[in-house]
Amino acid sequence: MSGDFSQASAIAMAEAVRKREASATQLVEQSLARIAATDPRVNAFTDVLAERARAHAADIDARLAREPAAAARLPLVGVPFAVKNLFDIGGLATRAGSKIEHGSPPKAHDAVLVERLEAAGAVLVGALNMDEYAYGFTTENSHDGPTHNPHDLSRTAGGSSGGSGAALAAGQVPLTLGSDTNGSIRVPASLCGVFGLKPTYGRLPRTGSYPFVHSLDVLGPLARNVRDLSLAYDLMQGHDAPDPACAARPVEPTTNQLARGAMGLRMAVLSGYFEDNAGPEARAAVARVAEALNVRRRVELPEVVRARAAAFVIGNAEGAALHLADLRRRAADFEPLSRDRFLAGTLLPAQWVLQAQKVRRWFAERAAEVLAGVDILLAPATPRPATPLGSEQMDINGKMIPTRPNMGLLTQPISCIGLPVCCVPVWGVSAEGLPIGVQIIAAPWREDLVLRVAAALESAGVVSAPLAKL
Amino acid sequence: MMTPEEIEACVDANARALGLVIAPEHRPGVLRYFALAASMAELVNGLPLGDHDEPAPVFTPVSPMTEVE
Repeated sequence: MSGDFSQASAIAMAEAVRKREASATQLVEQSLARIAATDPRVNAFTDVLAERARAHAADIDARLAREPAAAARLPLVGVPFAVKNLFDIGGLATRAGSKIEHGSPPKAHDAVLVERLEAAGAVLVGALNMDEYAYGFTTENSHDGPTHNPHDLSRTAGGSSGGSGAALAAGQVPLTLGSDTNGSIRVPASLCGVFGLKPTYGRLPRTGSYPFVHSLDVLGPLARNVRDLSLAYDLMQGHDAPDPACAARPVEPTTNQLARGAMGLRMAVLSGYFEDNAGPEARAAVARVAEALNVRRRVELPEVVRARAAAFVIGNAEGAALHLADLRRRAADFEPLSRDRFLAGTLLPAQWVLQAQKVRRWFAERAAEVLAGVDILLAPATPRPATPLGSEQMDINGKMIPTRPNMGLLTQPISCIGLPVCCVPVWGVSAEGLPIGVQIIAAPWREDLVLRVAAALESAGVVSAPLAKL
Repeated sequence: MMTPEEIEACVDANARALGLVIAPEHRPGVLRYFALAASMAELVNGLPLGDHDEPAPVFTPVSPMTEVE
């Protein structure tokens, strides 16, 4: 068996194993070698689980030797993947990017989504860097070091799932998992030039993951192409009772819908707030996607500034309350870039939070009215492409605003009301040659629609996720 | 809009109520972020809502694992 699969899609890797052109062991060894060669520069991984991955790959190969037909039942057979380090991994403490959780007991089990991907034949090779407790958009982690954007190592990979975006752009693995509360899948997908799916709030179970804001948290996949993204998402669907937010919905497959493309869908560009807060590259990216889809219509959501404020208040208060005991005891051990935000968040009056939850429902109802007349909304994912690591301020249309809290300015109003979004990477709109993402947004539970449009754009060559030249 | 003095008073009172001691080196950042949250809360409170507008979360009662036949 031979061949270099480091640039291959997850689906192509699994196909190679099924055809016996590669073994699971070979795929895992190639992934581990690529991580060893590139991660000293990228810093996507906090834990490389070589021993576990080799043992699991050997088990798969032994099983296929005994029972070759088993491969047909494993859609991701032999495919290496990695997860943000807030997913539980059996035998490890779940750190969520923190120093404090280093001391917590090792987990007995993997997170449910890790179990589901491994049940489909995928092989976990490691855990990925993130902003501490997911409270950030730049993966500048003072404990584990920053993750560097593989397309320009001096720049941020975005966050908080920065390792999940960077590992894909660096070609270390073809599939990763992240979490998104205010934009933490979509921001790194945008800045690293990969595809990210933020499913509807309540779609995928969060069982066995470290929470940030229970009211807003979702988990989802990132990949280098839409078919991998869709397949991984399909394999992870299904109710799980221990997550009280997980909706008891049937599995609604998307992979078999992709070929339908954008045909027949009513689409519009989100104007107003989403244009006013977009830099020139972000606006150009949306214009390119809109042109490719022949979208001329523009619609506006009302009171987006207040919706974003509601997400901010809810996230600040809930996220901080979770850590009150440690903030009392050992505030100095928190990430310096988010500690003061957490401390402040414990002190917010209850009325602010309760009113924010009412504003959230009001905004969800207004968005539903808009979505009654349009199936797909288009908006930029980030105001700018990747900024330099350490950047304090960024220029949005002549206005300087703090970089770290505002990279999620365009994602936050959408996750506030739990809509599904596929973030697709657009190239050729930045003078520095950097990618930037566009959000494809639909009504709740219509992941099929956002993935169909993403697949149409990918087929047309408008969006893509090439490997970084490292 | 809260004044800087009102923000300090609120931060100090609420921290005391929670038993949260804010170290002097963290205090300027905490005041800055509390002021940011206050400006967000002002936006939230600026939307006219009625007494019958429901909050987003809906509680789901939890049934026991086994039920009486």
